[in-house]
Amino acid sequence: MSETALRISGLMKTFSQKVAVAGIDLVVPAGSFFGLVGPNGAGKTTTLSMATGLLRPDAGSVQVHGIDVWQDPVTAKRMIGNLADGVRLFDRLTGEQLITYTAMMFGVPRTEIARRVSDLLDMMDLREGAGTIVADYSAGMTKKIALACALVHAPRLLVLDEPFESVDPVSAANIEDVLRGYTASGGTVIVSSHSMDLVQRMCDHVAVIANGIVLSAGTVDEVRAGESLQNRFVELVGGRHTTEGPEWLRPS
Amino acid sequence: MVATVLRLRYRSLGNTLARNPWQLVGFCFGILWALSILAAVAVAMGGVALTQGPPVAYVVAVLGGSALLLGWVLGPVLVAGTDATIDAARLAPFPLSRRQTMLALTAAGLTGIPGIATALASLTTIVLWLRWPAAAAVAVPAIAIAVLTCVVSSRLVTTLSTGLGGNRRAREVIGTLVLAVVIMTGPILTGVLTLLSGAGGIADRLLQAADVLGWTPLGAAWAAPAAAADGAWGAAAARLAIAAGTLAVLWLLWDRAMEASVASPPRQTARALKPGSLGWFGRMPTGAVGATWARSLTGWLRDPRYLRQLLVVPLFPALFAFTTGVHGVMFAASAAFVALILSIASYSDISYDGTAFATVLSSGGRGRDDRLGRVLGAACIGIPLVVLVALVSAFLSGTVVHLPALLGASLGILLAGYGVTAISSALIVTPVAAPGDSPFRSVPGQTFVGGLLVFVVMGAILVVSAPSVVLASIAVNVAADAGSAALSWWALAVGVCGGAVAVTAGVIAGGRVLDRTGPELLQRIKAFPTS
Repeated sequence: MSETALRISGLMKTFSQKVAVAGIDLVVPAGSFFGLVGPNGAGKTTTLSMATGLLRPDAGSVQVHGIDVWQDPVTAKRMIGNLADGVRLFDRLTGEQLITYTAMMFGVPRTEIARRVSDLLDMMDLREGAGTIVADYSAGMTKKIALACALVHAPRLLVLDEPFESVDPVSAANIEDVLRGYTASGGTVIVSSHSMDLVQRMCDHVAVIANGIVLSAGTVDEVRAGESLQNRFVELVGGRHTTEGPEWLRPS
Repeated sequence: MVATVLRLRYRSLGNTLARNPWQLVGFCFGILWALSILAAVAVAMGGVALTQGPPVAYVVAVLGGSALLLGWVLGPVLVAGTDATIDAARLAPFPLSRRQTMLALTAAGLTGIPGIATALASLTTIVLWLRWPAAAAVAVPAIAIAVLTCVVSSRLVTTLSTGLGGNRRAREVIGTLVLAVVIMTGPILTGVLTLLSGAGGIADRLLQAADVLGWTPLGAAWAAPAAAADGAWGAAAARLAIAAGTLAVLWLLWDRAMEASVASPPRQTARALKPGSLGWFGRMPTGAVGATWARSLTGWLRDPRYLRQLLVVPLFPALFAFTTGVHGVMFAASAAFVALILSIASYSDISYDGTAFATVLSSGGRGRDDRLGRVLGAACIGIPLVVLVALVSAFLSGTVVHLPALLGASLGILLAGYGVTAISSALIVTPVAAPGDSPFRSVPGQTFVGGLLVFVVMGAILVVSAPSVVLASIAVNVAADAGSAALSWWALAVGVCGGAVAVTAGVIAGGRVLDRTGPELLQRIKAFPTS
């Protein structure tokens, strides 16, 4: 794995006095399945937003396959499939229309669009909801349609912020298969997640971040150093309590 | 319990104001405005009480009171939106009975700025009856009933317009219908007043109107003291009964509406389209321009927040026809007003995307493509409508000779507006109702300065479209033998060509701006308080 799909160097972001990202460096090799883990407020979403051109960094640079995201956003964004967290979709469109719209935005040829939309609907188990307005989808279906939109232009790098949140186990397993096939054929996936088991099982690389800095990064085996990723994560991040909770919260 | 809810309400108001100094400025202006109205009302009441006889006091109280109640019912729908800081949905998680919830909401309504202002203004009307102690004694309970009726009816309207049927689509349709009816109220009232004309002058007409309103739920409470002043105790009692009955019925209706809105939760699966129904997305060419065009057009045709803007299209001609007649200058020029309002509607178009603008931003389309797609979408609706209004108003007002001039000015304004808003919407985002929310719901975070920007944009549009407008007005005003017809055609040419130049320049310049400001716009949208 010689080529680098995503290179983040010295990335910083401050929101009115609160430092969200305090100098992050990451190298995501091409073809890797990269996990980004960290506690709430660690700066995961902020980092991924800056990496995908949605949030302008205060300092630092981001390169996707050698193209600087903030110097040449048009070229860089064509290579990125982005599932952003905490933003709406154009949810007044039906699922089918939304994927078609996204494909058109990326200039996918008209003749290709119908086939890709159809494949994605099957892949995400969304065939039945194709004609329903996305606003009427459940949380899990909404995640899946957003993921379908991220995939439709066949990007080289997939940046997925919390892709499996509230997705049912069967769909999650199906999506996992698709993503594995994608990385096996040279695509790169970076996911943020709170599920250590999932990251340990799926990813080959992982970075642990907290308070806007990288605590540890490398292959999953390097980072967990013989322990489970869950234990290693708690060890790195700290803050585990061992109480049974306050007495008023014990009903009997 | 009610006290807790009220504390919560003032706490959140305080927090909102502390968050943004400009909002505090706007809030202070709001209070000053309310105070000045109050002072004016108090002075007027004092004046009437000192110098006029009972009939005038009666007319003032009944007409003013009816207008006040009408304002409470229609105001939230039409102008201000509903204050959603405290609403039924937000109180739902707490262990409150429906009755307690309704009491809390009523109390919240009474203690907001409009509620306090209404209560104070209503109390000043006691001055009118000071000369008749019995009437003043009747006025106190009557005023209490009237003020409560205002609050309860506005809550009822809110519950109906946001919750009725529970189905999202139904809610959108009902909301739009309510607005359409409301907009026509002005013309209808004008018509009614004309019908009431009878023999005498304006004073008799008003007295007549007060007599009718005094027996309706709108004015009964306000007419009761007058009846008492005349010594007509039977009539006074009957009017108080009507007023109290109105309040009771409204309360019961509200209770029913609340029950219905709980029984049918706001999210329900709407009808699904057939697979393969791509709408405009199946017809437009692929690429960022086509995609944006299709999305914009879909919005203009289906999104209630856009449809609300289209309601001005029949409104302006209707309003002018009622006020100045179909042969008036204003009616003939209504296409120009429609053009101005339609083009300014998208002055902060990206706001309507909400955080879904992230989808646009991550696709890496160029700003120019986005601008062009949005203009095309808006123009597909705007140009036919403006031309239609111009044709209809020209035929009705008998000014077909001036049609080219009228079209020139209107299209000149419309296209100049598209050019200007292509730039302004790359710079300005304002908090708007979220997609699917009632377009009548007021949104937190709107600032005083933000509101003023509309006028800046409007000024810019008028400046850019000035050549065609000036030419058109000269053409209309010179005599036929002085080359009116030729000038008229020139106005059309200048309007269309100048407009095309304005759109092109706006799309290019706006695209450049958007390429630079895109991420910052998304940040600002994300920072808006969500309702």
